[in-house]
Amino acid sequence: MIGQLRLGFWVRVMTTAVAISVALFPFLWMLRTSVASVEEQRSLAISPLPASFDFGNYSAALQEGNLISAMLNGFIVCAAILAFQLITVVPAAFAFSVLRFRGRSVLFLTVLSALLIPVQMTAVPNFLMMNQIGLIDTRWALILPFATSAFGVFLIRQQMSTVPTALVDAARTDGLTTTQTLLRVHTPLAMPAIAAFSLFSFYVHWNDYLWPLLVTRSESLRTPPLALAIFQQVELGFEFGKLCAGAAIVTMPVLIAFLLAQRRFVEGMAGGEIVG
Amino acid sequence: MTTGEIRAEKKASAPSRRLHLAGNALRWKGATPWMLLAPALALIIVFTLGPTLVTLLASLSHISLIEKTWTFIGLENYREAINSEEVWQAARNTLIFSVLTIGPSVAIGLGLALLVDSFSRGRAVLRTLLFLPMTANLVAMSIVFSWIFAYRGGFANSLLAVFGVGPLNFLADASTALPTVAALEVWRASSFNMVIYLAGLTTIPLVVHEAAAVDGLRGWAKFRRVLWPLLGPSTVFVTVITVIGAFQVFDSISIMTDGGPLGATETVLYLVYRLGFRIFRFGYASALAFLLLAVTVLLGLARARVLARTELR
Repeated sequence: MIGQLRLGFWVRVMTTAVAISVALFPFLWMLRTSVASVEEQRSLAISPLPASFDFGNYSAALQEGNLISAMLNGFIVCAAILAFQLITVVPAAFAFSVLRFRGRSVLFLTVLSALLIPVQMTAVPNFLMMNQIGLIDTRWALILPFATSAFGVFLIRQQMSTVPTALVDAARTDGLTTTQTLLRVHTPLAMPAIAAFSLFSFYVHWNDYLWPLLVTRSESLRTPPLALAIFQQVELGFEFGKLCAGAAIVTMPVLIAFLLAQRRFVEGMAGGEIVG
Repeated sequence: MTTGEIRAEKKASAPSRRLHLAGNALRWKGATPWMLLAPALALIIVFTLGPTLVTLLASLSHISLIEKTWTFIGLENYREAINSEEVWQAARNTLIFSVLTIGPSVAIGLGLALLVDSFSRGRAVLRTLLFLPMTANLVAMSIVFSWIFAYRGGFANSLLAVFGVGPLNFLADASTALPTVAALEVWRASSFNMVIYLAGLTTIPLVVHEAAAVDGLRGWAKFRRVLWPLLGPSTVFVTVITVIGAFQVFDSISIMTDGGPLGATETVLYLVYRLGFRIFRFGYASALAFLLLAVTVLLGLARARVLARTELR
């Protein structure tokens, strides 16, 4: 009996080890390739660590792949998108969760219906719109279509709805205006949801590839995944050392965000997938 | 879920509404709610709902980007789509890709969740490590997977060589290209599905486990008769999410195969992209986009219905 349990335990440990190896293998292979010499990259003898470490591929990726300006641009675009989203989403979430007014249900349904529509579907008309108003190949084209988020309204409203009515009444008794109630009571209390949404927004827009591909031409407006994809085309897919270094650089920011705030990150992602 | 959500909301808010009306009702009336909502609503209408209607109109038109003209041509684009071999191939590829992705990623996700849950210690660490694939940048990982499955010097072929097989030209061979792209999606989706199943497992009350123990249910019997039925909502959820994800796959196809070889990995969304933005046939591309949207929305609604039903039970 005990022997059986032990066996079961070790089988589970082994299976877990295999699962983790498979989950991490592409990351490790990426890092290994990025520091190994070209001969070693192609050698059939597979050793977990390369014989020598060479970080030349990283500087090559940053310079030849134009990743420095792309990373900078990526941060600017993500920060601008998030700023616009929070300014528009938080008040809307507050209105839906606390205020009672005519047409509330209809308007909330309108927001919910937007959740059913994937971004890719609106790409053609949004591209035509940007083309019409002459914003193609500007930073505005990267930011404006994402200046609000139906998902954000949904996620933050959910948490604001849990604020007790007594607290709202107390705030009003103390003479707080609606705006003050929003800023001093509901925004701090909804901070976990706001954090989860912010991480989700960063994840989505840092990684977005299709939209920047459609609306930018200039090198200075490329976002990290787009710059990486173009680097791959330039290198014709041969210089895997440089490409893997570039891939590691582009992956890093989101990975760090995840490791720093795992719980909120998963909440944002799961919430995003639950409704979207 | 949509209607269930609204209903639950109404019920919960009924007493508080009375309170507000009894108190200082005027304050909450007037323009305040509208001012708070206006920016978000306007942007949603301009960039999401409006464009969806425009896609519908565009699908009924011939659009010239240079002359900036729209000509109404009725259902002509849809007729062309249905009669196009290219479209059917893309639809087949999308379906095959979905099938290749769903089964493995749901099964692996469930297996991993049960495995992680079976340990009394270290669950948090395991969960973190196994969730990492989901945090990776898809363009970056497409490049890494292209390298792993490269014809010359790729890890997969080095491994196959040990068994005296290959080398296979994974991404350039029409029979292996789509499964290879699907492998990346399975790798990613499994880690996400695991997290959802883990969340599902934690909602099962301890009493259920105790009752199962009393009834002598262990191992496979317990899984089949207790855990699997209780995980039903999670299964519906991950399945629909994975299908929708498979319908929207773009980055990996763009980087790994560009729809090739000979259209073997061209999905419907990728065809929409190619027709719209390489050949500039916006009307025709919109018709395809709208057909894909219709299927996606139907799936979303089906999920909402199933979830609403399981919650009511």
